[in-house]
Amino acid sequence: MTSGFWALMLVVTANALLFHLIPRLSRPDILFGVTVSEAYVAGVGRTLVSRYRMTVWAGAAAALAILLLLQSPQDDSGRGAMLMTGVMTGSIVFAHVAWQLARQKARAHALPPSDVRVASLVTRDTSLPGGALFAAGPFAILLATALLRYAYLDEVPDGPDTANPFGQLVFGAVFVAMMLTMAVTLARRSRQIAADGPAASAEQRFRRVNILGLVLAAYAAAILLSAVTVKSIPGFGDTLSGRGWFVLVPLMLLNFGVTVWMLRVGQGGLRAVAPAARREVHGDATPDHAWIFGMYYVNPRDPAMWVENRFGLGYTLNFGNWRAWLLIVAMMLFPMFAGRLLF
Amino acid sequence: MAGTLRVSLNLESPVPAYRQIADDLRRHLVDGQLKPGDLLPPIRQLALDLGVHFNTVALAYRLLADEGWLELKRRRGATVIARNAPRAVDRRQVDGLLRQLSQIAAQLRSAGMSSRQISAALRRLAEGGSL
Repeated sequence: MTSGFWALMLVVTANALLFHLIPRLSRPDILFGVTVSEAYVAGVGRTLVSRYRMTVWAGAAAALAILLLLQSPQDDSGRGAMLMTGVMTGSIVFAHVAWQLARQKARAHALPPSDVRVASLVTRDTSLPGGALFAAGPFAILLATALLRYAYLDEVPDGPDTANPFGQLVFGAVFVAMMLTMAVTLARRSRQIAADGPAASAEQRFRRVNILGLVLAAYAAAILLSAVTVKSIPGFGDTLSGRGWFVLVPLMLLNFGVTVWMLRVGQGGLRAVAPAARREVHGDATPDHAWIFGMYYVNPRDPAMWVENRFGLGYTLNFGNWRAWLLIVAMMLFPMFAGRLLF
Repeated sequence: MAGTLRVSLNLESPVPAYRQIADDLRRHLVDGQLKPGDLLPPIRQLALDLGVHFNTVALAYRLLADEGWLELKRRRGATVIARNAPRAVDRRQVDGLLRQLSQIAAQLRSAGMSSRQISAALRRLAEGGSL
């Protein structure tokens, strides 16, 4: 059995696990992307979730069985690999369909959107965690590496990676700029749903962790791309060799820790709040009808650029907001730009 | 700023959104819950949280600034200012408000409230209490 086969098996299992967890990640009164009552979630909704999970795992089990049957040690042609990739894709599509069907059932119990909106008059912190200086760190790292690379410009032997000596660093700078733009806009252009109390504190904490995650992603990219650039310089390459884990392991641990924390507290950090304290918060202050397939938020009347995701954790863009489209276009152009810089 | 203050908005109300925001803020100002020197949230933040256009909140802030409650500064948001000097009574505005009040009193009576109950409720409100 090849490593590719095991990778496909892993993807199918991870996908099923992800879809299994998704209903647990939403706000307590949002089920399958639909605003319902907590009583419904605890009652009939529980049966709906159980059936949905059984469907997802049945689909995954079928996909795994087909993959095992298709696996043939003699088959060196690409046909088998294509078939197996098709089965894996099919299992992902199947899980999505199961989610959509469960959503259709939950919609029958949807609560009408509230006509009353409440906001706190207390100014909240919309700065980046660590301040502007901390956020500028990734740029400083890339700039320092660029200066080092420039100093040793003549000493680097010709090779495929020297076609554009600063390509990786420019790529890094663009990536960092995108991450920081996302962090700034998330801090300033996302809605605070709970007006005050422990629910509001939990929500703000959740937002800040998401923002911090984006800033740390910028750091990770800057460090890794700087390391790759420095490695190409004779003398420095030997020094760095085998020491990549110094950077990678803490980053992976941090990433793992943040993921576990987010899974535990759920969307908006609300599951960490006592039920009595979150009583005043209903839904996520977005109307159900603006959620296309329960996944994509399109509401031109909403000034928020980012809203809480209803499919999974974290935040998603409001596709009805023109500022969000600037970011989307930048994200779409980025791979093309990256291709020109790196290859 | 005393405690946690809120502003609320009812989308079904016939009262325009900017008026509702201004009315809520004025209530906090009159009650003394918002004191001179207190900083109000930036227009964008409040508009985002309420899910209304930025201009709606800007209009509410402007209205209160015109009444002498707030000082608006570019990029620094709105600050509550001391409103010591009594403003000249705007007879037209007062007449309009009293007319609204008489309509509300008539509606309350037709809803079954006695004159005594209405007077008591009005007194409570006039003295800064709540219903």
